[in-house]
Amino acid sequence: LSLNIFICGVGGQGLVLLTTVIGNACAKTGTKVITGEMYGLSQRSGAVSVHLRIGEDAFSPLIPYGEADILLSLEAIETMRYIEYLKKDGIVLMNKRIMHPPIETSKIIAEKGAMYVTLGDVVSKLKSWTPNIAVVDALKLARESGNVRTENTVFLGCLSALEAFPIEDNAIRESISEAAPKKTIEQNLKAFDLGRKNAYDSLCTLVACKHVP
Amino acid sequence: MVLKDVLAKETKTAFMLGNEAIVRGALEADVKVVAFYPGAPASEVLDTFSDALGNFDYQMEITTNEKVALEVCAGAAFAGVRSLTAMKSVGTNVASDTLFVLGYTGVRGGLVIVMADDPHAHSSQSEEDGRFFAPNAYIPMLEPSSPQEAKDMVKKAFAISEKYRVPVIIRTVTRVNHQSGIVQLGEIKRSDFKRVKWKELNEEYATLGSVARRKKLKMLERTAKLAEEFEASEFNFAKQFGSDVGVVTASVSYLYVLEALKMLNLQGKVNILKLGTTYPLPKNTIRSFIKNLKKVVVVEELSPYLEKEIYAIAKDTNPALSIFGKNSGVFSEAWEYNPNIVAKGIASAMGVEYPGYEAVIQEAKQFKEIIPDRYPTFCAGCPHRATFVALNQVLKIQVSKGQEHYFANDIGCYSMWVFPPISRGDSSLCMGASVGVANGLSHVIEERVVAVVGDSTFYHAAIPALINAVHNGNKFTLLILDNSVTAMTGQQFNPSTEFIAGGRQGKKVSIENICKAIGVEFVEVVDSYDVKNNVEVFRKALDFDGLAVVVSRRECALYGDRNKRRRGEKMVPFYVDKEMCKRPYVCLRTFYCPAYEIDEDQQLRISAELCDGCSVCSRLCPIQSIKRTEVEA
Repeated sequence: LSLNIFICGVGGQGLVLLTTVIGNACAKTGTKVITGEMYGLSQRSGAVSVHLRIGEDAFSPLIPYGEADILLSLEAIETMRYIEYLKKDGIVLMNKRIMHPPIETSKIIAEKGAMYVTLGDVVSKLKSWTPNIAVVDALKLARESGNVRTENTVFLGCLSALEAFPIEDNAIRESISEAAPKKTIEQNLKAFDLGRKNAYDSLCTLVACKHVP
Repeated sequence: MVLKDVLAKETKTAFMLGNEAIVRGALEADVKVVAFYPGAPASEVLDTFSDALGNFDYQMEITTNEKVALEVCAGAAFAGVRSLTAMKSVGTNVASDTLFVLGYTGVRGGLVIVMADDPHAHSSQSEEDGRFFAPNAYIPMLEPSSPQEAKDMVKKAFAISEKYRVPVIIRTVTRVNHQSGIVQLGEIKRSDFKRVKWKELNEEYATLGSVARRKKLKMLERTAKLAEEFEASEFNFAKQFGSDVGVVTASVSYLYVLEALKMLNLQGKVNILKLGTTYPLPKNTIRSFIKNLKKVVVVEELSPYLEKEIYAIAKDTNPALSIFGKNSGVFSEAWEYNPNIVAKGIASAMGVEYPGYEAVIQEAKQFKEIIPDRYPTFCAGCPHRATFVALNQVLKIQVSKGQEHYFANDIGCYSMWVFPPISRGDSSLCMGASVGVANGLSHVIEERVVAVVGDSTFYHAAIPALINAVHNGNKFTLLILDNSVTAMTGQQFNPSTEFIAGGRQGKKVSIENICKAIGVEFVEVVDSYDVKNNVEVFRKALDFDGLAVVVSRRECALYGDRNKRRRGEKMVPFYVDKEMCKRPYVCLRTFYCPAYEIDEDQQLRISAELCDGCSVCSRLCPIQSIKRTEVEA
C-alpha cells in the first residue's frame, strides 16, 4: 500500500528541498517513490504544491482526489486550497503561520469590514473534513534551531514520527546532510529533532506514531 | 536529487527529477555540446548542466533564444559531435525555422531536442501541442512517461539520430519534467573532447529550390525506414489480458491509466498499448493491437493526435471498432488530465460504475470561498515593483491631464502586473511582442503606447522590433526592466551580466549601448529603487515626441539576496514606528509587498522574515515612519 502525502505552501518555503530530502532517503532505502511537483513560476509568494507518493502501488505522479493520507501545509491558508486531495478523516499537519497575500491586505484597506482569514477560521472549517488536525508553530521551532528558513525540516521531523512513514531516521538525517546548503546542515538537523519532539505532543495524540526513542 | 547523483560514476539507483534524468541520460550518451534558453518546465535541464559543468568536458551555452540554442547544437552536430538542447513548448515556435530545415539537411553527430509542452498552461501563455512539429518537419519523436524512461529515451535518441542522420525530438509534458522518481543510473563513459577537421568530414548542409525538392524525397525514405525500426522499439509495448477492450496511450497519460484502472478495479482486465515512438507511429503495432478489440479508449492530453491515426488505421483493420476519446466526447482537448479524469473517461467508455469526482470538488469549493487567491507576485525587494510604482504615478498624472495610454506587457516576472491587486495591461503575448505590437499601435491609436520588456526578453526577441521602430520613425515609450538575470525561470545568466553558463566569466552586452547604436534618440538609465527620480524621467519619456527608451536597472531581489547570503551579509529588515505612523496607507495602497500585513491597530506591520531590506517603501512613506532595524555593528 502506498503512503500519499500532499505538500503545499508558499513559494520560498522550501517545498522542493523537503521533497528532495524525502526522495533521496527513499532511494537510499530501496523504497519506491514518485512525485508531481508544481512550481512553474519560480518567484516567491505564489502557491506551490507537491504530490509525494511512497510505495509500490502508486503509479501516477498526481494523487487522485480524496486519496492523500496526509495533507502537509507549510502555510495555514494553503491547507484549504487543496483539501479535495485529502481522504475524509485523513491527517492535516499544518503550520500555524499565515502569510497574507497582498491581494487580501489590499482588500482590507479598500473594503469596510473586510477581515483577515484567521487560524481559527481555517481550523474550524477543516474540522468538517477531518477531526485529525495537528497545528505546529514551525516558525518558532525554526527560530529555535537558529535558522528561520528551516520550517520545512521541522515538518519533516513531525512526519518522521508517524508509524506510517516508512523511512528510517538515519536515512533522513543522511539525506538532510547531503541536500541542505552546507552552512545550514547543523541547523536543519536541529530543526528535524525539534519537529520530531513536537510531534509527540500534537500529531501523535491523533494518529499512531513510532515509539519515543 | 543532489548533484552528486547526476555525476555518480557508479550504476546505482537515485531519486531524480525528470529534467535531471534527461541530463544524466545525455551525460551517459557522452554529449559534448549543450545550449539552452531557459523556460518552464524545461529550465532544470539547463540548471543541472550548468551545475555539472567542470565535472565533464562538454561545451555549454545559455543562448539568447531557443533558435540560437538549436543552431549552436546543429553546428556541433554538423561536425559530428553529439549535442542537446531543451526548450519549453513555445520556445519550439521560436526555434522552428531552424527545426524544419534540419529535417532536410540532417546531421552527422547525434542531435537531441527536448521539447517540453505545458498542458494546462501552468507557466505558459498558451496550451500548445508540440507533437505536430514532428510530422510537419519529418523529425522522429519519442515520448517518455517517467524520469527513468526520459533518461533511457535520451540515450537511445542519440543513437537513432546518428543512424538516420536526423535530429530527434524528446517530447515531454510538465508532469514528466517535474515528476521525480527512482532512476537506475547507467555507466558514464566519457570520451575526450577533440576538435575535428571540417574538411576531412566531407559534409554539406545546404538546401534550397531543386536541392530541397531532392532532399524532400530522401526525407520521405528516411521516415519510412524509421517507421519500420520503431515497429520493433522497446518503447512501444502492449499489456495483453485477453480483453476485448483496450487503451492506447502515451506520455504521462500512461501513468494516469495505470492509476485509473486501479481505482476502477480493472487492473488486468483491460489491454494496454503504451506508445513511446509517436512519430513516425508504429502503425502495424497499433493495427495488431486494435484488430480484435470491440472498444478502444485513446488517452492522450491536448489534441487528438493519436486518436486520428487510430481512426484511419481502424477504417481498414477493424471498421466495427468503437473508438472513445476526444471525438466521442469522453475526453476534452482542453487542459491536462489527472487520474480522476482518466478514470471517468475509461469508466464511461466501458459502461462501468464510477462515482466521479464532481462531488468532492464541489464540497472542496466551500473551503476555498473563505480564503484569498494567492497569485504569483513580485517578491519582497523586487525592482519591478518599484519601477511600476513610479510608472503608475506618472500614468495617473497624465490621465488626469487627458493623456491616456496603451500598456503593452511582455513575458517575464513583470507579466505579473496583470494579476490582482494591480490588474494592469492591455496586452501580453509572447517573447518580445510588446515592442512589435507597439509599432503597429503607434500608427493607429490616439493614446500613447507604453511597452515594457525585461533584459532577457529584450535580447531574445525585442531587438528587431526596436530597430524597426527607429527605421520607420514610430513613436512610443519603451521601458526595459533590467534585473541582470532571467529571473522568472530561476535567475539564469544572460548577456546583462558578465557571467555565462557554470558561472564562468563572459562579456556583458550593454542594453543602452544597443539602443543608442541603432539610433534611439531618447535613452535614459535609472535605478529602479529611486522612485522619486524615476517619476520625473518616465514623465519626460512619455512626453517625448518620438521613440523613448528608459532602462530601469537593479538586480533581481532573489538573485541579489542569494549573493548576499553567500557573502555572509545580513538582511536588515525595516519596521514601522508605530508612534509615527498616521496610517495614510501610501505603502499599502501602492506597494503590495508580500512582507506586509495589517496589525491589530490597523497599522502596517512588516514581516522581518520576509523583508529583504530594499528600503523602497521607507522612501515612499510621506511621514518617514518606516525605519531600518538597528543592528549591532
